Amino acid sequence: MQRSFRIFIKNMKIKTFVLHVIFLVGLLSWVSDNENSWIQPGKGGILPAEVAFSNPNGTLGYVNVDGDINMEGHPFFEPLGTNGRACVSCHQPKDAMSVSTQSLQQRWNETQGQDPIFAAIDGSNNPKLPQQLESSHSLLLKRGLFRISLPWPVKTDNGKTIKPEFSIEVVSDPTGVNVDPELGLENGNISVFRRPRSVANMTYVMSPDPVFNIKTGTLAVTDPETGKVVGMNMMADSRHYTQKQQALDAYFGHLQGHNTLTDVQLKQILDFQNKLFMAQSHDKWGGKLVENGEPAGLGPHNMKAGKVHILANNNRDPIFHWFNNWKNKETMPQSLNAEQKDFRESVARGNDIFMFREFWIRDATHINSLGLGNPVRRSCATCHNGQMTAQDLAPGWVDLGTTTYPTWTENHLANQKSDLPIFKCTCNKNAAPHPFLGRVIYTTDPGRALISGKCIDIGSIVMQQFRGLSARAPYFVNGSAKTLHELVDYYDRRFDIKYTEQEKTDLVNFLSVL
Amino acid sequence: MNLEISIGDLQVRIFKLRLTNILVLMLFNSLFISAIFAQQKTRNPKSEIRNFLTCPIIRDSKTFPCWLVEYNGETYYLGQQGRSGSLFYPPQLKHQVLVEGRIKDGSRLCGGIVLEPVTISVMPELDLSCNTLLPAQDGLEPPPPIPYPENAPFADDTRNFTILFDFDSDFLSLHKTRIVGEVVRIAKVNGLKNIVIKTFRGTTLLSNGQKLIEKEEIAELRAGKLYDIFEGLGFAKEHIKLAIKTNPEKADGIIDVGKRRAEILIF
Repeated sequence: MQRSFRIFIKNMKIKTFVLHVIFLVGLLSWVSDNENSWIQPGKGGILPAEVAFSNPNGTLGYVNVDGDINMEGHPFFEPLGTNGRACVSCHQPKDAMSVSTQSLQQRWNETQGQDPIFAAIDGSNNPKLPQQLESSHSLLLKRGLFRISLPWPVKTDNGKTIKPEFSIEVVSDPTGVNVDPELGLENGNISVFRRPRSVANMTYVMSPDPVFNIKTGTLAVTDPETGKVVGMNMMADSRHYTQKQQALDAYFGHLQGHNTLTDVQLKQILDFQNKLFMAQSHDKWGGKLVENGEPAGLGPHNMKAGKVHILANNNRDPIFHWFNNWKNKETMPQSLNAEQKDFRESVARGNDIFMFREFWIRDATHINSLGLGNPVRRSCATCHNGQMTAQDLAPGWVDLGTTTYPTWTENHLANQKSDLPIFKCTCNKNAAPHPFLGRVIYTTDPGRALISGKCIDIGSIVMQQFRGLSARAPYFVNGSAKTLHELVDYYDRRFDIKYTEQEKTDLVNFLSVL
Repeated sequence: MNLEISIGDLQVRIFKLRLTNILVLMLFNSLFISAIFAQQKTRNPKSEIRNFLTCPIIRDSKTFPCWLVEYNGETYYLGQQGRSGSLFYPPQLKHQVLVEGRIKDGSRLCGGIVLEPVTISVMPELDLSCNTLLPAQDGLEPPPPIPYPENAPFADDTRNFTILFDFDSDFLSLHKTRIVGEVVRIAKVNGLKNIVIKTFRGTTLLSNGQKLIEKEEIAELRAGKLYDIFEGLGFAKEHIKLAIKTNPEKADGIIDVGKRRAEILIF
């Protein structure tokens, strides 16, 4: 009896070992297979329930609650429109469900610009430029920006009539699109250029604040189908309030669809988005970031297990929880090398800087204008306050200043020219002015104001989740920060924080593991 | 009596208000407001009142930054940096601030004479000369943070509610939307379907004798905003009555804060 039990255990150990080897080989093959891979629309195949993709800072991991996804026939992965694109074209798993300039440049080279992602409609600076030229797609290739054409003047928002509080003139437009008689302002269109956003961890992103919108002091927006309050943090300008609206708009716009998406297809797309969780899973040395569930703010499994809509800009249970085991080399796994241990200490310091290093936050509309005072001495986490994603729990549009003069990311030096169109917005006499820029505002993207029509909203852009940053450079809505270091540098300049180089490195390392 | 009300671009709405209802409502509300401020009026001799328009000043400290203003060569303390749930919402640099306060007892905080109670309104237009940030100085610290208001629910038999606004503003901050939420809760608890919203346009008598009158359309803007909210929260259009008082309220320099208001009655 005892002998047979020992044999059973021995067999089990062998089986377990073999299973582990198979799993690891499978995982490694996925990582290596996908290292340079690009999921082409209609390619078919299986997207495993747990899958990992390498990036310059390690590996990005995914967990899909629904298990393996058969991409064949799945509306997220199939080219349902007329231009060969699918949702996955701009929301690539290897690029944190967004798309990086590294991938775009590689795709250009591999396809000589024939990939559907470069479709003239919005993958080009201007559809009327010669599409075979790389220069005609420079904003996409260099900054990862797609053209978003919106009606102007805006007439309705969420079914309500709007009369804009400001007028728009084109100051300059290197793309030519906004001064084109057919595509431009003259014909009731304005084109801005923006990064696509990650479509994972969407249960966090979509979670609503109750009843009132703290930014406007009015009722929160509701889903017209369910009547339930919705979050407004999905898009850069919150122009669509539900994922269904966004999916349909993307079908007709980005995919140039001529029919529609069926209810079944919409459900499949939404289910996929809402059950997919992602976060960086391994460091660049291949070490697992999460051991026995700690640090609790890292890794896709912790993303999946986390509670949504938790205000966490406090010292009780912070945004990304605590990194206590990483503060001290002695509490780290012995298997880590010295570099890995130094890195983890740096990440833990970065988390503390993010949470607690105070500076003067000033002239940021919808933060400083909201009752906190201007300036307010607080930390990054004040605005990036939602647990696990660092998005604002309230509707997260803020004029950080990346798109508005004089704090915009363009023209740092007098001899530099902006790649982006520049608009002059002039507020009506009777409207409340922009709180910190007054009545005449120069901007490369009026942001939320193109939807609300309000002067106060000019330049306000909805903040993004912090997940998967290592896989989806460049950053900011206009792709102006090529690296995480440049992103941190912008904040340092914008708010005169005076970070030390060590603090900047710690912040960059911290952001790179999210 | 028919009231034709144009609220910006919300189009024309026509509300039928019975004259008797209006008169009863106005009488009741006059008594209500008078009662609220009668006590304050007796406690506030005019010599203690400070109403003025000026640039705010922020002083850093070891603990929290504090907000000050200067008026007639004297420095006054308004309050300290808080959070969105705090009762005191600080001013904004780059904007003048309307201060309406009373000297508490002559004591000083952060180097300024304490004004309490104090109401501040951020003036909407830019004033780039308002840009003073003072460094921390030993001994000039604000008191510990004031605990958040408890926000106890209103009694279920409450029928009248008053929402006060910042000067020239129709913005409903967190504290004000809480009152709106209570109106709806109590209406539901008691099965009350009718609501009357009466909005006003204020005037502030400054300490230098000048009068500051709110913009002409402010009472309409306040009414329009509240109408949309209460309709969105379930009151039927035909049960929402608006009364908009566009003539500015008279100012006395003492209770002017209380005149920039919306009065809400449910029945």
